[in-house]
Amino acid sequence: MEEDLDNILDDWFIESIKIYKDLHVYQLENPTQVLEWTSGRNVCVAGYTSSSKNEILELHLPLKLLADKNKGLCAERDFKVVHGGFADGPVRRLRHIPGTRCAVTNDGHSSSLQVWDLGGDDSDVIRRTGSVEGGRTGSVRGSRIAARPSSQPQVLHGAQSDDVRLTEITSGRTVYKLEVDSSDALSSLQFVTDSIVVAGCCKGSILVADIRSPAAPQVCCPPASSAESVLWWTDASASSSRLIRLSSCGQAVVSELRMLGGGAVCQAQLDIQMRGSDSEDVVVSWAPALDDCIAVSGFSGAVQIYNTSLWKSDLQETTPLFQHRGHMVSSQQPDGVLTTAHAWHPERPRTLLSAASDGSVHVWDWVNQSAAESGSADPPT
Amino acid sequence: MPEIKVTPLGAGQDVGRSCILVSIGGKNIMLDCGMHMGYNDDRRFPDFSYITQNGRLTEFLDCVIISHFHLDHCGALPYMSEMVGYDGPIYMTHPTKAICPILLEDFRKITVDKKGETNFFTSQMIKDCMKKVIPLNLHQTVQVDDELEIKAYYAGHVLGAAMVHIKVGSESVVYTGDYNMTPDRHLGAAWIDKCRPDILISESTYATTIRDSKRCRERDFLKKVHESIERGGKVLIPVFALGRAQELCILLETFWERMNLKAPIYFSTGLTEKANHYYKLFITWTNQKIRKTFVQRNMFEFKHIKAFDRSYADNPGPMVVFATPGMLHAGQSLQIFKKWAGNEKNMVIMPGYCVQGTIGHKILNGQRKLEMEGRATLDVKLQVEYMSFSAHADAKGIMQLIRMAEPRNMLLVHGEAVKMEFLKGKIEQEFSINCYMPANGETTTVTTNPSVPVDISLNLLKREMALGGTVCYGDGFLVSSEQALKELGLNEHQLRFTCRVQLQDPHSDPDTLHRIYTHLKSVLKGYTIQHLPDGTVMVESIVIKVSSSAEDPNTKVLLLSWSYQVTFLRC
Repeated sequence: MEEDLDNILDDWFIESIKIYKDLHVYQLENPTQVLEWTSGRNVCVAGYTSSSKNEILELHLPLKLLADKNKGLCAERDFKVVHGGFADGPVRRLRHIPGTRCAVTNDGHSSSLQVWDLGGDDSDVIRRTGSVEGGRTGSVRGSRIAARPSSQPQVLHGAQSDDVRLTEITSGRTVYKLEVDSSDALSSLQFVTDSIVVAGCCKGSILVADIRSPAAPQVCCPPASSAESVLWWTDASASSSRLIRLSSCGQAVVSELRMLGGGAVCQAQLDIQMRGSDSEDVVVSWAPALDDCIAVSGFSGAVQIYNTSLWKSDLQETTPLFQHRGHMVSSQQPDGVLTTAHAWHPERPRTLLSAASDGSVHVWDWVNQSAAESGSADPPT
Repeated sequence: MPEIKVTPLGAGQDVGRSCILVSIGGKNIMLDCGMHMGYNDDRRFPDFSYITQNGRLTEFLDCVIISHFHLDHCGALPYMSEMVGYDGPIYMTHPTKAICPILLEDFRKITVDKKGETNFFTSQMIKDCMKKVIPLNLHQTVQVDDELEIKAYYAGHVLGAAMVHIKVGSESVVYTGDYNMTPDRHLGAAWIDKCRPDILISESTYATTIRDSKRCRERDFLKKVHESIERGGKVLIPVFALGRAQELCILLETFWERMNLKAPIYFSTGLTEKANHYYKLFITWTNQKIRKTFVQRNMFEFKHIKAFDRSYADNPGPMVVFATPGMLHAGQSLQIFKKWAGNEKNMVIMPGYCVQGTIGHKILNGQRKLEMEGRATLDVKLQVEYMSFSAHADAKGIMQLIRMAEPRNMLLVHGEAVKMEFLKGKIEQEFSINCYMPANGETTTVTTNPSVPVDISLNLLKREMALGGTVCYGDGFLVSSEQALKELGLNEHQLRFTCRVQLQDPHSDPDTLHRIYTHLKSVLKGYTIQHLPDGTVMVESIVIKVSSSAEDPNTKVLLLSWSYQVTFLRC
């Protein structure tokens, strides 16, 4: 048998016919750490090389994926580059400001942000329109960014907990500042409502603040099991009011946002290897349209989906509901490739995008095998 | 300044048909002559009035070059050569020459017989047109006349597709036609040498896409076939010719083997005949690696795939059938379709574009009730799947091709300027070349800097270099001496002459110098004479210094120094 076809019909490929409803595999010229939705149909990616100019691209999802009825009559499987631009340095973070054609980026090693116009129908060029200064100069990690959900273009940003501010983009005016004494490195920054913000620190503590009030934020300590060298990543779900924290040892803890002091709701030891000090690429996220499900990437070349409703209050090992191994299987160096980002589709329950260090970007709609086999229902959508 | 003019024929934002005029070094060349498949009237033909308002095109064109057999690149060729009128040479590769007339005839039959149109070329016209064709081999330079030469390069994409290099004197243009930069299973990737054309002309249709992998397209194909078979359905795959059909057969065969599937797979006899015919063409056209993959196994000796017989279509149970023709417009594939269309468990997979007027085109547009001969209606209940396997270069591919060919300018046709600004900027920035994007009907003029070869004798060269004049260098460029020295990596040498004059003067050295200065100023009027603070006097560029002799302070030695350029002054 020709060796070419042997490669094609490897185990994963055969398996993929059953385990994915849809699967698309793309190769960008440079890897991205950014997968940011600008609408239900468009997503931004950006390069993070330190040398030459990096591209910021806004891509339109393949028409075939989006076609619901008459899907068979649509042959279009490609991404369309609808807008593109160049950044002078690496782009490690990108946030789209909802309701606008504006995006904000950070290079991962300074506190200033760049402001961009993503372009409209009359031009396909993404242009830099300005910048937003951060609090401190020369910070190592770079600022985290969160966009205020309401129509006022405001952005929450900062690299350390004592340095978080809400800035009005057009005027550059600081509208709010997080009043915290301690200076902890942040691993996440989010709006859970238009006025409640959650900041996750790398050492595991959580800060929750109401930006309408000058009061100090509520502080929640790191999970009891946390040790000195352990890093934590966080995601808060607005719809379920839940918070998940994931450590570099693979421990995942779920808490109620409104009762952070009340201890964990449930927890689990995830099936992942320990990470070293590099925390740039780890992402944990709640599914927007699939209750209790989370996705984890950045520990290896895989993206894992877990169902937290199966977790207990004591720490037990758990296995993923689904694993996307596509990046590892398709890569030239299967052991060297690492996932750099993932993003759930905002409406389609099981559609995700994932990116890896070899420049690959996958779009996949997975099948819940266990539900299919046992005949039981999916976690409610 | 000499210039090359490029005009994509057509109007406005019209895409879907390729026909580009190039004027280079006094020669006019037509690149491709495609039909627009979306129109039913004369708008489907390119607008030749740009070349001449009426009358034949022969005296206005030096040659026509066709890149490959797709109808949007060759569909209007017989119309152009036989109905508008052109008797000059038409160049295309051997496989294109073999396959074109078959596609054109099929197309003509559909348009005239099925749709009843009248202003269209006839079968005889297709034959007469093909008589004007001169076939090309890859990488072989062909002299169209004593000034114009062309060369074909491998483009991938489809069997016989070529990119073409056109050269007149020292000006050149490369036209890509359709190509792909990632190897296809049976076709390989496009390749060109660092020919540095003045302009690289390419389509922009896929320039702003990022292509989904071939693996995923194949996965989707196998998934669909498998799903149908599992529910007991029959799958019809109408195919045209060699290459795609064979690839899909091999894919299915391997999948069947791997999954231990039992459902029969058939290919129609019409397919075998055509396949054997093109198989021979294929051998000479493909490269070593591909030949190894396809030639070593006998074309249709499959374990799981058998020859089809009409009666099998009525057999119960699941099966897969490959049948011709590809657009369901006639023949066996249409017969089978009619039998299977009424059952929703069945499936038809269309692996390519279907021309208007065919059943294929209708069902791909969602039509579920078809009018057949004798006013009978056919209910289309089976599942219709449209899959695109064709290989095209995307945004990354264009950049790779530019890196390969190193053109001085880039020109993209068939794109909307506002949707291409980013790509234009990217090309201009990465390669520091201009990127042009003419609209259809618009002419782009690109100024070129052709070099003129100049011979020079070695003696003259040596003398000119010594005297610092202009120098012939390298390929025959006349350059300034500074440029030549810089490129040759040489330092400029200066020649100065010196002589000593003795005179008796009792004054001190500076006083003597001053006396000389004053004297020279009075006798050499009209010359620049300076007494400099460093103790020298300069007359133009002649330097004069005074020193005393060691033995006798009254004996002064004048040191005079001048460069070789100075004419001798008498004083």
